[in-house]
Amino acid sequence: MKIKEKLTVGRAGLDSLFRSAVALLLSLLVSAVIMAACGYNPIQAYGAIFTGSFGSLRGITQTLTQATPLIFTGLAFTFAKKASLINLGVEGQMYMGALGAVLIALPAMGLPGPVHLMLAILGGMAFGGAYAAIIGFLKVKFGSNEVVAGFMLNSIATYIVGYLLNGPLLAEGSNIAQTARVAESAWMPRIFSKYQVTYAVFLAVAACIFVAWFMKKTVTGYEIRCVGMNKDASETAGIRVGRSLVIAMCVSGAIAGLAGVNQVLGVDRRLINEFSPGYGFNGIAVSALAAENPVGTILAGVIFGVLRAGVMELNRTTNIPIEFVDVIQAMVVVFVSAPLLIRNLGGHLSRLKPARGAKGGAVQ
Amino acid sequence: MSVVFTYLIPILSSTIYMATPLIFAAVGGAFSVRGGVMALGLESMLMSGAFCGVVGSYYSNSAFVGLICAILGGMLIALFHGILCIRYRVNQVISGVGLNLLATAVTTLLMQVIWGNKGTSEMVASIDTQLGGPIPIVNVQSVNFIVMILMVAVGWVVLFKTCYGLRLRMVGENPKAANAKGLRVHGLKYSGVLICGALAGYGGAFLSLDQLNMFVRGMTAGRGYIAVAIAILGRYNPVYIVPCALLFGFCDAVQIYLQGQGIPPQLIQMLPYVATLFVLAFGVRHIKPPEGVGKHETD
Repeated sequence: MKIKEKLTVGRAGLDSLFRSAVALLLSLLVSAVIMAACGYNPIQAYGAIFTGSFGSLRGITQTLTQATPLIFTGLAFTFAKKASLINLGVEGQMYMGALGAVLIALPAMGLPGPVHLMLAILGGMAFGGAYAAIIGFLKVKFGSNEVVAGFMLNSIATYIVGYLLNGPLLAEGSNIAQTARVAESAWMPRIFSKYQVTYAVFLAVAACIFVAWFMKKTVTGYEIRCVGMNKDASETAGIRVGRSLVIAMCVSGAIAGLAGVNQVLGVDRRLINEFSPGYGFNGIAVSALAAENPVGTILAGVIFGVLRAGVMELNRTTNIPIEFVDVIQAMVVVFVSAPLLIRNLGGHLSRLKPARGAKGGAVQ
Repeated sequence: MSVVFTYLIPILSSTIYMATPLIFAAVGGAFSVRGGVMALGLESMLMSGAFCGVVGSYYSNSAFVGLICAILGGMLIALFHGILCIRYRVNQVISGVGLNLLATAVTTLLMQVIWGNKGTSEMVASIDTQLGGPIPIVNVQSVNFIVMILMVAVGWVVLFKTCYGLRLRMVGENPKAANAKGLRVHGLKYSGVLICGALAGYGGAFLSLDQLNMFVRGMTAGRGYIAVAIAILGRYNPVYIVPCALLFGFCDAVQIYLQGQGIPPQLIQMLPYVATLFVLAFGVRHIKPPEGVGKHETD
């Protein structure tokens, strides 16, 4: 199936910022209605989410811990989207990245700390990138639908990791499917020793800025954007379309791999089966909220990090389900992609105001 | 002979059983795509059908009411998809993926609200019938086997032998020309998407009310995406879709059969997904979707 992408060129940045803000507010509003219908007080809940994620150092670190993988996966989705590719396989690439990192990080190689860490990070990126390259290759060589291929590879990746964690990589004496602790030389340093947030959050920010620069200032980035806007025209202009598509997918997968790397080397310090609550899919919402702007991904990731951390906090005291965050995120994806819907809503609202004014005039 | 009875017949009946929901969803997808709307939201329609079916059956104690609810649940998601894609011209891939995310999140949420459990629902009244009769393989199928065969036949006739089908396909091929000819492009597209929702909803009910008697979190397990691949492989033709779906059903049946035979289960469970990947790589290269997929009458 061919993917027809409405071009977003020329739309002012402010416009898309407005669109994202409205979409987020709408989603929060609809979720509040659902919350109320389910018997929770939405104002109380949102208040608790906010204090839970900002009220204490613990809350803030928890927010950043949650935001780190979201920024990575959001950026990964954005990168592929620039070439007009829907990378639904981010989740699988993240698992593969985690696997690549843990394979290098597990044995104590006797290397000095930073070298071992660097190798593990690169291993994760390579695994994620190579796994994503399969999708790109299938798309270019065989014209496969990348969305279906991505989803299939997600399932395959979770089964591969599941197999390894229940068999060859299973930690000795462990009751649950997980590896042993990774070698200390490959640990991703934590910012506070007590909390799980690692320096990878800065890596995530740096990656966003790098991608923005890469897209704007390099030839490859320019070619990827061209291919994303119009494949046929790019082909005519002498751009190797297939090469650009595979590169876009590859880099996207490498970034997705970093989300898994951080989880393995920093947060859990081991590979645990099914560690992800769906970070890969959440990345779609992050990318949508950021209007596919690489730097905007940082803010969008933090916003969803706040929601996720806050709801997790709320889940401890009340029994509010964590899935509310997923509902909000899914709605953001739908609303952001429907600019006409939002414009229509705006139109209705602005029509309401003059109508009132006219009535007032008639009375006078 | 004994090999036939111990291995072949159980696997083949299981093949049909596993293929049935895929056939429902893929034929639905064929209607949607023939009308020019991509069917990537099939996963959400299946899931909504499976969930609404169980909810309907739970509150009414009747599997038949559950089935109606499942069809309506599938159509509800289809209506959303239609409004977004047809009226608000959302990118059809994003709309489909967004709705898939939404369906997963909302069903998990509602499960906790209704049953207080995020893993499985309570057991409900299910469609528990076997056809019986002298023919092996068929005699262990449920009533839905007959419904499925009728649905495929009717689907084929409607798509290719009726005036409505011709119009739907014209809208899918070239909405602009269809519009110029005076066809109601939007109405026809909505009809295609809604038929898709109804069929996928029924397929979802087959998962939750026929194969099981409860809803399990994420029970569609990517079948919607597999159905998309089947619809492509079957060239968006209900009759061709059946053998393609049986191929996937066979993978599923073999996978179930091989479990507990000493091979690591995760490697076997991968089989249907790997098969889909291979089909995507080698099976669908020259199959083109209708010209007008994703286009609007005013483009």
